[in-house]
Amino acid sequence: MNVTSLRHRPAPRGPRFTAGRTVAGLAGVAAASLLAAACGTSGPSSSAPPSSSAKASASASASASVLVSCKSSTATKITFWAWVPGIARAVTAFNNSHPSICVTLEDVGAGSPQYVAITDALKAGTGAPDVAEVEFDELPSFEITHDVLNLVPYGANKYKSDFVPWAWQEVSQGSAVYAMPGDAGPMAFYYNSALLAKYHITPPTTYAQFATAAAALKKADPSAYITNFSATDLQWVLSLMAQDNAWPFTYTGGSKVGINWTGAAQTAFANYWQNLINAKEVNGTTDVSATSFADMDKGIDASWLSSAWGPSYFAPDAKATVGDWRAAALPQWTAGANVAANWGGSTYPVFKQSAHPAAAAEFSEWLNATDASWNITKTAPSSLFPTYLPLLNSSSYKDITVPISGSSHPDQAFTAAASSIKGVPWPPFMTEALTQANTVFAGVLDGKTTLLQAFKNFQNVLVSYAKAQGFTVSG
Amino acid sequence: MNGIASQAPPRPRGMRSLLVQSAWIHRRDRKGFWFVAPFLAAFLIFMLAPLGYAVYTSLYTTRIIGGTVFSGAANYTQTLQSGEFWSGVIRVVIFAAIQIPVMLAIAFFFATIFDLGVAKYGTFFRTVFFIPFAVPAVVGAVMWSFLLEPQFGPFVHFANGIGLHDVNFFSTNLILPSIIVIVIWEWTGYNMLILYTALRSVPRDVIEAAILDDTPLWKIILRVKLPMVRPAIVLLVFINTIGALQLFTEPLILAYFQNQAISINFTPTLYIYNTAIAGQQYNLAAAAAVILGLVIVVISVSSLVFRRRRSEVS
Repeated sequence: MNVTSLRHRPAPRGPRFTAGRTVAGLAGVAAASLLAAACGTSGPSSSAPPSSSAKASASASASASVLVSCKSSTATKITFWAWVPGIARAVTAFNNSHPSICVTLEDVGAGSPQYVAITDALKAGTGAPDVAEVEFDELPSFEITHDVLNLVPYGANKYKSDFVPWAWQEVSQGSAVYAMPGDAGPMAFYYNSALLAKYHITPPTTYAQFATAAAALKKADPSAYITNFSATDLQWVLSLMAQDNAWPFTYTGGSKVGINWTGAAQTAFANYWQNLINAKEVNGTTDVSATSFADMDKGIDASWLSSAWGPSYFAPDAKATVGDWRAAALPQWTAGANVAANWGGSTYPVFKQSAHPAAAAEFSEWLNATDASWNITKTAPSSLFPTYLPLLNSSSYKDITVPISGSSHPDQAFTAAASSIKGVPWPPFMTEALTQANTVFAGVLDGKTTLLQAFKNFQNVLVSYAKAQGFTVSG
Repeated sequence: MNGIASQAPPRPRGMRSLLVQSAWIHRRDRKGFWFVAPFLAAFLIFMLAPLGYAVYTSLYTTRIIGGTVFSGAANYTQTLQSGEFWSGVIRVVIFAAIQIPVMLAIAFFFATIFDLGVAKYGTFFRTVFFIPFAVPAVVGAVMWSFLLEPQFGPFVHFANGIGLHDVNFFSTNLILPSIIVIVIWEWTGYNMLILYTALRSVPRDVIEAAILDDTPLWKIILRVKLPMVRPAIVLLVFINTIGALQLFTEPLILAYFQNQAISINFTPTLYIYNTAIAGQQYNLAAAAAVILGLVIVVISVSSLVFRRRRSEVS
C-alpha cells in the first residue's frame, strides 16, 4: 500500500484539489477503502468495542472518522479533528497514559472541508472540536476571529525551546501562542543525480548556477527540463518567494494587512522564473501529480524543489530512477548564503468553544512536544517531519536511508533546511487566496499569461477581497 | 386511447345541487389538507424558508473586520457588475446552445427507432439507454474523469492510437466539449424516453393515412411525427436550459482532476459555491443565487407563456 508510506503534506484546498494530488488521492482513497473493506474493519461506529480502536487506526489512512473509547466514564471528554493518517495511534497512546482525559478523534476531511466545518460550528456557537489540526497558513484566519485560545496560561511557553524558532514564531502573535506547532515541510533541491552526471552538470548551489544548468541541460537534451515550475500551487510558489525575500504579505494581527505582489523583489522573482519558462527550460505541469512524477521518473524533470514530505509521495511512482535521487540544500539567491524555505505543515490550536481548555491544551502539548508522541507520528503511515528539536537533532532520524536515494541520507538536507527557515506572516484569508490562485495562475502553465501579469492580477484580486472584508490594505 | 371517455358525465347545474356540491368539496378539502400537509410542511421548511433566508442574507454584509451590517442592494449591484458572475453565465449559455440541440437530435433518433419497433429487444435497449440517467451525476462525472484522464485514460490512448497525439481532454480548450459529452451521456436516455412516449401517443390513424398515401418513411418521421411531438421538444428545451444554467456537479468533479481547467467562476453555480465556501462571502453568494434564481424564473415563465400561446398547455 503506497498510502501508508506517505509523509504529510499540505492538504488539498478549496472546493478544488490540486489536480494531481487528486488522481493519486482518489486512487489512494479508493484503494485504502478497499483495503479497509477487505480487512473487515469499519470506520465510524458508535457501538464499537474498546478493542476496535487499534483496528480502526489501521484503517485510518482511509478518510473514515475514528472513535476512541474512554478508559473511564468520568474522564474529561475532548474532541480532536485531524486528517493525518495513523494519528489515531498517538490518540490511543495519550488516552492510555492520561486516564482522566478521553480524546475522541474525528476525521472530517483534509484541509478545506474541515476548516469549513469548524468555521460553521464556530458561527453556530456549538459543535466545534476542542483541538484541531490547522495548517500554518490557516491559523491566522482563526486568530483574527478570536476563536483560538492563547495557550500561554496553559504552560505553552515552557516548550518554546523544544521547537525550531520559525515554527514557534508562526504560531505566536506578540506574547500570545495560539497553537502548538506540529509537523513541517522544509525544502531542498531534490535531484536525479544520474541524469545531471550524464550531462556533466554540477548540482547548482545558487539560482544563477541553476539558470545556467537549466540552459545546459536543455542544450544537451531538448526533451529534458531542469525542474517543473507549478505556478498554480500557491503554497509552493509562496515558499520559494519566502526564500527569495519576496514574501508578498505583511501582517501582525488586527485589521491592517500588507499585500505586495508587484514590488521590486516580487517582480524580480517573477522575471527570473518567466525567463526560464520562456526559454522552455522548466516544465509546466501541476506538481505532486501523476504527470509530474512520471516526468521525474522518465528523466524529463531533472529535479524537484521539494518538501521533506515530497520524496515519499514520489517513491511509489519511481521505477526507472530508483536509487538516483539525492537531496541538497536549495539553490541560494546570494552565493554563500544559507536560506531555506518551508512548504506545508500543521499546528494544533485549542478552540475557545472548548468546555475543557486545560485538558485540551494538555493534549495538544503532549501530541506535539513529547518524545512519546513523536516516536509514533514520525513512523508510517503518519510519517510527520518534526518541528520538534529533540527529534530533529537526533542523528538516527537524519541518517535514515530510503531505496529511492540509494545509500545517501536525503533527510540530512531536509533537517538542515528545517533550521534555516525564516518564519512568514500569513494573511488571515489564505483559503480565499488559495482558491483564487488556481484561476489566476492557470494561464501561466499553458503560456496564456506571464507570471508577472498573474502577480499583478492576483494583487488586484486580493486587495479588493481584503478591502471588501474590512481590512486596511497597504502595499 | 380516448381520454374523454374516462371523465365523469356533467352534473346538473341546479342551485341546490351546486350548494351541496360545494359543501361536499369543502369537507373533502379539509380531509385533503391533511394529506398534503406533510408536503406543505416540507415545502415550507426546506424550500420557502431557505429561500426567504437567502433573500434576507443577501441584504447584509458580513466582514472579517467590522462584523455584519445592513447593506441593502450593495451585494446585488456588485454581482450585476461582476464580470466573474456573467462570464460564467455566458459559458453555460454557450454550453446549452451546443449540448441541448445535439442531445435532442440523438434522443429523437433513438426514440424514433424504438417507436418504429424495428429494433429487436426494444424494451431491453430502452432500459440500457436510460441507465446513465439513473447513475448519480457525481458517479458519472468521476467515471468520465477517469476515462478522459490525460495520463492513464483510455480515451487518450485511443486518440494516440488513431494518430492524435498530446490530446488533453482537461485542457482549457477541451474542457467544455468534454463536459458537453458527459452531460449528453447522462441525459440523452431521459430525453429519449420522454420523446418516445410522445411519439407513442401520435395517433396511429394519422400514420396509417400517411402510409396509405405512399409517404416515404423519412417524410413520415420528419414531416408528420416530428411536428406532432413538438410540444414535448419545446418542453425539453426549456427543462434542459434551466438544467444547463445550474451546471455544477460535472465541472466540480472535473476540477478535482484538473483544477486549472475549471476556474472558480466556471459556471454561475460554481461562482456562488466558491464565493460562499472559499471566500466566506455568504451574503454576496446569496445575492448571486437570488439573481440566478430570477433568471431561471424568467425562463420558466416565458416557457409557460410561449407554450400557452401555442395552446400546448392549458
